[in-house]
Amino acid sequence: MDGGWLLLAILFSSLGPGIAIFFLPEHRQGLRTALNLGGAGTKLALVAFLLDGVLRGDEYYFSLPLMPGIDLVLAADALSLLFASLSAVLWFVTTVYAIGYLEGSPRRSRFFGFFSLCVSATVGIALSGNLITFLIFYEILTLATWPLVVHRGTPAALRAGRLYLAYTLTSGLVLFTAIVWLTLLAGAEGFTPGGYLDGLADTHATTLQILFVLLMIGFGVKAALVPLHSWLPIAMVAPAPVSALLHAVAVVKAGAFGIIRVVNDVYGAELAIELGLTAGLLVVAAITIIYGSIQALRADDLKQRLAFSTISQVSYIILGVALAGPLGIIGGLVHLVHQGITKITLFFCAGNFAETLGIHRISELNGVGRRMPLTMLAFTLGALGMIGLPPLAGFVTKWHLGLGALEAGMPWVLGVLVLSSLLNAAYFLPPVIRGWLGERRKPWNEPLQAHAGPTRFETHWMLLFPVIFTAALGLLVGLFAGLELSPLGWVSLIVRRDYSLPEFGL
Amino acid sequence: MSAAILLAVPLLPLLLAVFIGLRPGQVRLNRLVPWAALPGLLLAALAPTGLEATFDSVLMGTHLAVDPTGRAFLALTAGLWLAAGLFALGERRGDTRRHRFYVFWLLALAGNLGLVLAQDAASFYLFFSLMSLSAYGLVVHSGKPEAWRAGRVYLILAVLGEVLLLAGLILAVHAAGQSSLAAVATARPEGWTLALLVLGLGIKAGMLPLHFWLPLAHPAAPVPASAVLSGAMIKAGLLGWMRLLPLDATGHAVLGETLVLLGLAAAFLGVLVGVLQVRPKTILAYSSISQMGLMTVGIGLALLLPEARGWLLAAVTLYAVHHGLAKGALFLTAGVQNQWPGTRLARAAFALFTLLPALALAGLPFTSGALAKNTLKDPLAAEALPGWLAHTELLLTFAAAGTTVLLLRFLWRWQAGLQASTDGLDRQRWWAWGSLALMGLLLPFAVLVAGPGGLPVEPRDLYGLALLWPIALGFVLAGIAYRLIRDRETPRVPEGDLAVLAEAAWSGARRAHRNLALPPPRPRRMPARLRLLRLKLRQRLEDAERVLTRWETIGLLFSAAMLGLYLTLLVG
Repeated sequence: MDGGWLLLAILFSSLGPGIAIFFLPEHRQGLRTALNLGGAGTKLALVAFLLDGVLRGDEYYFSLPLMPGIDLVLAADALSLLFASLSAVLWFVTTVYAIGYLEGSPRRSRFFGFFSLCVSATVGIALSGNLITFLIFYEILTLATWPLVVHRGTPAALRAGRLYLAYTLTSGLVLFTAIVWLTLLAGAEGFTPGGYLDGLADTHATTLQILFVLLMIGFGVKAALVPLHSWLPIAMVAPAPVSALLHAVAVVKAGAFGIIRVVNDVYGAELAIELGLTAGLLVVAAITIIYGSIQALRADDLKQRLAFSTISQVSYIILGVALAGPLGIIGGLVHLVHQGITKITLFFCAGNFAETLGIHRISELNGVGRRMPLTMLAFTLGALGMIGLPPLAGFVTKWHLGLGALEAGMPWVLGVLVLSSLLNAAYFLPPVIRGWLGERRKPWNEPLQAHAGPTRFETHWMLLFPVIFTAALGLLVGLFAGLELSPLGWVSLIVRRDYSLPEFGL
Repeated sequence: MSAAILLAVPLLPLLLAVFIGLRPGQVRLNRLVPWAALPGLLLAALAPTGLEATFDSVLMGTHLAVDPTGRAFLALTAGLWLAAGLFALGERRGDTRRHRFYVFWLLALAGNLGLVLAQDAASFYLFFSLMSLSAYGLVVHSGKPEAWRAGRVYLILAVLGEVLLLAGLILAVHAAGQSSLAAVATARPEGWTLALLVLGLGIKAGMLPLHFWLPLAHPAAPVPASAVLSGAMIKAGLLGWMRLLPLDATGHAVLGETLVLLGLAAAFLGVLVGVLQVRPKTILAYSSISQMGLMTVGIGLALLLPEARGWLLAAVTLYAVHHGLAKGALFLTAGVQNQWPGTRLARAAFALFTLLPALALAGLPFTSGALAKNTLKDPLAAEALPGWLAHTELLLTFAAAGTTVLLLRFLWRWQAGLQASTDGLDRQRWWAWGSLALMGLLLPFAVLVAGPGGLPVEPRDLYGLALLWPIALGFVLAGIAYRLIRDRETPRVPEGDLAVLAEAAWSGARRAHRNLALPPPRPRRMPARLRLLRLKLRQRLEDAERVLTRWETIGLLFSAAMLGLYLTLLVG
C-alpha cells in the first residue's frame, strides 16, 4: 500500500465535496461555490504532487480485496497521470465555467453534485489498475452523467438522455461480459505495459479475438466509434459545461482511454498486431474520422457540428493506438490531451455565444468577432487547432500520426489524414470567416445583459476567463511541444519508459 | 543574440497585429504597420553569413537561419512589404475597417518573412500556412461579391495546397529521418513525395493548371495587397521548390522536363489569355503567371543540367527579385490610375514610374530585366539539351516578346481609365511607388557592384541585341493586333479561366445530384388507436424519466447496479 493514500485522496477530493453538495439547499450559493472550487483546487494540487512523484520514479499503489482473487486496484503510472492531469486541469476550468453558466438557474445542487461524481469517476478510471476497477468506475460514470444530460428536463433533453442510457448501458453489459470472461480466462491481472495475455495467444487465439471485438464494442460506444456514435450528437442538447465534460474531459475520453488500456496494457501492441486486431480497429477509426467530418459538414447548429467533429477527432486517438508503433502511439496519446483542450475551448465558445447573444446556428455568427473579439479569437484558435495548423496542438498530433502511419508501413492512413484535414477546414473555416469578416446589420439580442445587467467584459468573466485559459493552453502545448513537460514530452516519456519499443527519432 | 534577432523578424509584425487587434481605435499604431517589415530588410542587408539559431523547445525543434538564397528572398520580401505598406497607409486612409486590413496584413507579413528564415519542415509549414490563410483576409477585404468569390477560390486552393504540402513534408521527413529542409532535399524525395511537394508549393507559385486563383484574387484585393501577393507571396512557392527539390549533382530528368514544359506553357498561355483581358490588374495577374512560368523553367533546367545548377538557381533568384519589385511597382501603378497629377514635373515623374517597371519586365537593356533574362539564358548556350529542349532558349526569347505585348496591353487599358487626381497623391505613396519603380534601374548596378551570392554576372549582361529584338517583335505584334481588332469587339476569356469551368462543373453536379435524389417518402399514417396507444406509452415513459431524474432515484438505482455487479462477480 505504497503511497496509496494519495490516490484515495485524489479520488475523494471530488467525491467528498460532490456528496456534500447534494445535501446543500439551493440558496447556499457561496458555500457550494467554495466546495466546488476547493475540491477542484485540492485535486489539482494533489495530481501535481503525484505527477512529481511519478516523474521521480515513485510507485503508488492501493488495493482493496473485493472477493477472492479479485481486487479493486488503484495505481499510478505515467499513462494514468496523463489522463488524470488532463481531467483535473479541465475540471477546474469547467467548474468555474459552469458556475458562471448556471448562475441563477434552478437545481444547481443536483447539477454540481453529479458533476463532481462524474469527475471522481473519471479520475477513478484514470487511476484504475486493472480491468475490473476500470469497469466499476466506467459504469459509475455512465450513471452519473445521465442526470447532467437531462438536466434541463425538456423533451429533447429527456430523449437525449434516453438514447444515452440505451447506448451506454447496453455497451456496459457487453463490456461486463467481456471483462468477466477475460478475468475467468486470464485472472484479474493489473494493467501491464506490453500486455499480459501472451501465454494465451497460442491456445485461445479465437477467444481473444472475440473478446477484443466485444471490448471494442463496449468502449466504442463512449468513444463514439461509427456506427456506435449516434447518442453523441443528440446529447449536445445538454448545457454547454456538460457538453464540454462529455466531449473533452470525461465520457468520450473514458472510452478512448479504455481502448488505449486494452490495446497497450492488456493485449499489448505486438499481440494485437499478431492477432490481426489492430488492422480492423484502424479501418473502423479511419471510417469514423471521415464519416464524422462529412456529417459535421451538414450541420448548421454550432454545437451539433462540434459534436460530429468530436466523433471524428476522438478517432485520431484510436487511429494512433491502432497504428501500434511508437510514433503512432505518441500521436494517439498526445491527442487525448490535445483534443480535450481544443474541444473544450470550442464548446465553451459555443456556450458563450449562446448565453451572451443567443446564437446557436453558424449562419447567425456573422460579425460576432466585433461584439465578442476574445471569445471569437479563442474559437479561431480552437478551430485552426482542430484543422491541424501549426503551432496549435492539433498540428503536433497530425505530424506524429502521419509519421507513425509511414513508420507502420501504411501510407493510406496519411491519405485519410489529408482528407480529414480538408474536411475539417471545410467545416471549421466558415464559422471563423463569418465571425470575423461577416456583416451584422441588426443589433444583437442580449439575453445575458437582459437578465444579469451589463458585464465588465464582453461577457460574464466566469464565462470568458476559462475560454481564454484553454485557448492559450491549446496554443502553448503546441508551440512548446518540444519541452519535456509538454503533453508531447510526457507522452514520449510514457512510450519510452513503458513500452520499451525500438529506438525512434524525430 | 542571433536567436533574438532572427526571432524578432517574424515576431514584431505579430506583436503589432495583436496591439492593433486589441486597440482598433488607436490610429497612431497604424503608422507603424509598414515599418514592421524593416527588421527583415535590415537583417538581409547586415546579417553576417551563417547567422542561425535553433529553438529545441519550440514545435518539434525549430531552426531559423539566413542562407544566401534566403537573404535575396528576405530582401525582396521585406523591401516590397515595406514599400507596399507605405502605399497602403495612404491608400486605406478613408477605409473605416482599415484596422482589420492591417491585422491581416501583419499576419501575412509575419508568415512571409518567417518562411524565408525557416530551415525545418514544421516551422516552414507554420509560416507558410500563416501567410496563406491571412492573405484570405486581404483578398476579401472589400466585401464585394466579386471579392467573396475570389476569396472562396483562393481559400479552397490555399487549403488544398497546404494539405498536400503537409502530406509531402511528412513523407519526405519520414524518408530523410530528420526534419531539416536541407536533409529532406539531400534525401532526394521521389515519387508521391515529390509530386505532393511540387503540387503543394506549385499552387502558391501559380503553376499550371492550378493557377486560376491568381487572376481572381489580384483584381479583387486592394492594390497594396495585390502588390505583395504577386510580388512576394507567390515567390514563397518558388523558394519552397528551391529548398526541397532534389537540386543536387544528380538532378532529376523527369521532373526537370515536366517543369520546363509546364513553365513554358504557363509563359505562353499567360500571355495569350492575358491579352484578352480588360481590367489592368487582371492583365498583371496573367503576366505574373507567365513570368512565374519563366522561373519554373529555370528550376526545371537546374534539374536537367546539374553542372550549371548553381548558376541557374542564382539566376532564378535574381529573376524572382527583379520580377517581385517590378510587378509590385506595376500593381501600385494600377492603384494610382485615378491620380493623374496637374503639374508638368509631377506628370513626368508619373510617366517615368509607370514606364520604368514595365520596360524592366520587358527586358530593356540596362534594366533589371535585362540582367535577369541574360543570366537565366547564359548557361543554355554552353550546355547541350536533348530533343525539343534544345529550343528552350529560342522559346524563352519568344516568351519575352509575349511579355512586351502583354505589358503594352496593360498600359493601353490602364491609360484608358486614367483620371485626374482630385486631392493629389500623398508623399508616402509617391515614395513607395517611385522607389519600387526605380529599383528597375538600381538593382542591376547594385548586383554588379556587390555581386551577392557569387552570382557570375558581368556588365555585358546588361545589353545585347538578343534583348532588343523580342521587344521590337512585341511592338510589331501589338501593332498588328491593334490594327486588326481596332473596330471590332475584342474576344474575351473570362477572368480566372479554369475557375469558371470548375464552378460550372460544381453547380452542374449539384443540380444533377438534386435531380437524381429520390423524392421524400410519404409519411405513413397509423390507425388512430395505435397512435393513441403510442402517445400514452410515450407519456408514461416521460413520466418515468422525470421520476428517474430525481437524484434519490438515481442513487438507489446506482447502488442496486453496484450490488448486482458485485454479486455477479462473486458468482463468476
